[in-house]
Amino acid sequence: MRILRYWRYPGNWPIFRFDDRLLLILMAAIVGIFSGLSSVVLNRSLLIMSDWLHHYRHFWWFFALPAAGAALSSLFLEKVVKEGAGHGVPEVIYSVSRYGGLLRLRSSVTRLISSCLTIGSGGSAGPEAPVVISGAAIGSNIAKYFSLNDRQRVALVGCGAAGAISSIFNAPIAGMVFAVEVIVGEWKSVNIVPIAIASVAGAEICRLLQGNQIPFGHHVFKIDFLNIVACLGLAVLSAVATILQTRMLRSMHTISHKVPAPMWARAAIGGCMVGIIGLYLPVVLGEGYHWTEILIEGRYGQILTIVALASFAKIAATALTLGWGGSGGIFAPCLVIGSLVGVTYHHLLVLFWPSISWVNEGYYALLGMAGLISGMLQAPLTGIFLIVEITGGWEVIVPLIIVSVVTTTICHYFEPASYYLKDLVDHGHLLRPGTDERILSDLNVSELIEKDCVTVHPSMLLRNFIDIIKQSHRNYFPVEDEKTGDFLGIVHLDDVRPYLFDPVMYDTVLLGQIMRTQVEVVHPDDDVLDVVRKMDIKGLYSIPVVVNHRFIGLISKATILDQYRKELMVQCHLL
Amino acid sequence: MDHQLLHILRNNPLGRETLLQSIYFCKKVGAFPVIYIPKTTKFLMYFDNDVVQVDLDKSYLDAGETAQAHATDILTQAGMEPRFLEPKHYTASTLPDIHTGFNYMCCPRSISDMSSKIGIGYIGPRVRRIVKSARFPVLIASPVFKPWNSIAVFFGGSVNAVKALRLGFHIARVSGLPLEVFTQIRKSSKEEYQQVVKDRNLEKDVDQYVTQWRFFENDNFENHLYEVPHDALVILGAYGHGVIKHMVVGSKWETIQETLGNNLLVVGPNFAAWR
Repeated sequence: MRILRYWRYPGNWPIFRFDDRLLLILMAAIVGIFSGLSSVVLNRSLLIMSDWLHHYRHFWWFFALPAAGAALSSLFLEKVVKEGAGHGVPEVIYSVSRYGGLLRLRSSVTRLISSCLTIGSGGSAGPEAPVVISGAAIGSNIAKYFSLNDRQRVALVGCGAAGAISSIFNAPIAGMVFAVEVIVGEWKSVNIVPIAIASVAGAEICRLLQGNQIPFGHHVFKIDFLNIVACLGLAVLSAVATILQTRMLRSMHTISHKVPAPMWARAAIGGCMVGIIGLYLPVVLGEGYHWTEILIEGRYGQILTIVALASFAKIAATALTLGWGGSGGIFAPCLVIGSLVGVTYHHLLVLFWPSISWVNEGYYALLGMAGLISGMLQAPLTGIFLIVEITGGWEVIVPLIIVSVVTTTICHYFEPASYYLKDLVDHGHLLRPGTDERILSDLNVSELIEKDCVTVHPSMLLRNFIDIIKQSHRNYFPVEDEKTGDFLGIVHLDDVRPYLFDPVMYDTVLLGQIMRTQVEVVHPDDDVLDVVRKMDIKGLYSIPVVVNHRFIGLISKATILDQYRKELMVQCHLL
Repeated sequence: MDHQLLHILRNNPLGRETLLQSIYFCKKVGAFPVIYIPKTTKFLMYFDNDVVQVDLDKSYLDAGETAQAHATDILTQAGMEPRFLEPKHYTASTLPDIHTGFNYMCCPRSISDMSSKIGIGYIGPRVRRIVKSARFPVLIASPVFKPWNSIAVFFGGSVNAVKALRLGFHIARVSGLPLEVFTQIRKSSKEEYQQVVKDRNLEKDVDQYVTQWRFFENDNFENHLYEVPHDALVILGAYGHGVIKHMVVGSKWETIQETLGNNLLVVGPNFAAWR
C-alpha cells in the first residue's frame, strides 16, 4: 500500500523535491509517447478503413458511405459515450482557460473513434484535432493520477497536444509551436521545455513505428523577387478562402440546428451531400493528404475553372461534414483547400501574365497551405513551421512568412477570433494566464466576503448608533429586521453625517428613517467579474452579500484588489 | 446560514421525496437549497483534481415545464426562498458546467440509471465518483422522505473517519440533535480509538455532543447495524482506505449502505472538514 502511495505522489520522491521541473520533464516524455501512440493508432485505423472502403468507390451508391460514417460517428458520440460533437480543440482551450486543464479520460479515445468513422468513410475532415484532444486528455489524466497541480497539469495538456501534432505530421517544431501558440497561449520556459520534450517524444514514437519520412515530398523551387512579390496576392486569396470557410462552417452549424431531426440524421444529411459532391470531385473526400501531395507535385493537371471549383467544393464539403455533426478537425482540409487555392492562384498568374516565368504551381500550393492554416488558426508561427517541416522546404521560408503574416492580419480584421476561439471569446471563456479576466475568474465571492460587519436594526436610535460607530472601523452598517433577521438595507457613515453635530436629533432619528433601501446586492454564486463590473457601473466601493434575505457580509474593492494582487503573483510565478 | 446544498431536481414523485429530504436537511443544518433543473441529461462538475460527467437518467427531464413551479411550491411551503441554479458556462458549447462551490449535495442512490434500480445496496457510479471527488459531503437520501431525529457517526479511526466525526459535531451543534458514535473494533482496542480522538483535540467535542459511543467487539458488523436508530442521519467516511483495500476486502461504507435504509451523509477523501 505504501509503495502504491509512493508511486502516486512522485512529487515526494527525493530527486523531484530537489527540482520539480525534472518531474514535469519526465511526465512530458510519458505524455508525448502516449500521444504519439494515439496518433499512430488513428493514422493506421484510417488507412485500414480507407483501403477497405476503396473497393466500393466505383458504385453509384458510394455517396451514402460518408452519410453512414457521419451518422455512426454522431450516434457513437451521442448515445454510447454521451459526448457532444465537434472537433475538440476549443474544449481543450476552454479547460486550460477555466479549469486548469481538467479533461475527461473518455476524451482520450472517443474522438479517435468518431473521427475515424467520419473521415474513413469519406467525410471532409482532418484527424489532427481528434488526436490533439486525445493527447491533451492523456496529459490531463496523467497529471490527475499523479496529483500534479493546476499549472503542471496545463503544461501536460500542452505536452499532449504537442506530442499529437508532432507525431501525426512528423513535425516536432510545429507540434511545439502549436501547443504553445494555440493551446497554452503562454510563452514561458516552464511550459516550453516540457512541451518540447513531449513533441520530440511524440515524433520519435511515430518515426519508430512508421518510419522517418516527411508527409509530403520535398521539392526545390527557384524563387526570384517577382515570385516573392506575387505571394502577396496569394495571401489575399488565402484570407478570402479562410473567411469563407469560417463563415460557411458557422452558418452550416446554424442551419443544421434548425432542421427538426435527431443529431445522427443531421450528420447523415451532411455526409450525404459530401458524398454527392465527391462523386464529381473526389478531391473533397476524406482528409485529403493524397490530393495535397499531388497538388504540391504539380500533377493535378486541371484547368483553372475546375481547380477553383474544387477549392470551393472542398470548403463546402468541410462545412457540410463538420457543421452538420460529423467528427474531425480542420487542419487537413485547410491543407487541401490551401493547396487548391495556391494552384488556382498560379493558374490566374499564368493566365494574366503568361510571359513571366512563374515558379511551379507546387510552390504556390505550399504557400496557400501556410496561408489557410495561419488564417484559420490565427497562429502564423504554426502555419510557417508546419509547412516547412512537412515539406522540408526551408528555402521557401521568406514567402511562407509573408503569406502567413499577411493572411493572419487580413483574417484578424474580418474575424477577430480564430475558428477555434470564436465561441470561447463570444462567451467570455477565453481566459489566458495573467489577464484581468483570468485573475478575476479565479477568485470567488465567498473568499472575498468580509464578515466583521456590525449589523443594526431600523428601530435603533441615532444615539445608540453613534456608540456603535465609535467601536467600529467600518463605514457601512447593514440593517436587519429585528424579528426575521432579513436584510433591509444599509446605513453609510455619510447618511448620518448631517445629524452628527446636532445632539437634538440623537433621540429623534431612527436608523429606519435614514437607511438606504435600494441597495445593490450580490450572491456568493456570482462571478467576481460581474461584481466588479457592477461596482464600476454604479460607482460603488462595497456591496453587501445577501443569501436567502440574510446578510452574509460585504465585498469591498480594497479586498478584491488585495486578492487580485495575490492571484496575479501566483499566476505569474508559481509552478 | 450561508451554507448551500446543491439539489438536482427530478420532477416526479420520487424526486419530490428527495427534494423534501433536502429541505428537511437544510432546515436542520441551517443551509439553503440551490435547485438545478436540468435541461439536458448531461452536465459536468469540475472538482479540484477531477472532472465528472454526470449522465442523468431521462426521468430528470420529465415535465420540464412544471419543474420550476413544483419546486417553488414545495420550497415556499417549507418557508424557504426558491433559488435556482442557471449554468453560466458550457464545455464544448453543449455541456453545462455546474460549479462545485457548495457545502453539501443531495443525491438519490443513483442519478444515471433508471429509478427502478434504486434500492438498498445500490449506489450508482456517478454518485460514487462525486463522493470520491467532492470537497463537500454528499447526502444520499432515502428513497422516501424520512425525517431524522438523531445523528449516528461511524468512526473507524481513519483520517476520513475523523473528518466524518468533525462533520457530525458540526451538525449536532447547529441542529441541536443527539449524536451517537459507532465503532467496529478491529485489531485495535477501545483505548486506541479514544487516543485518535485525543490526538486530534476532539475530546471536548466528544464530551459536549456525543451521547453514547458504542463499540462493536465481535466481527459481525452487519448484525450490529440493527442498533443504529432507524431515524438517525448516518454520517460516515468513504474511500478512506485506498483503492486496493476497497476492491479486495470491500469497505465498511459498502456494508452500511447495503444494510441501512437511513439517510446517509457521506464524506469522501477530498472533503475539506469544517468546524
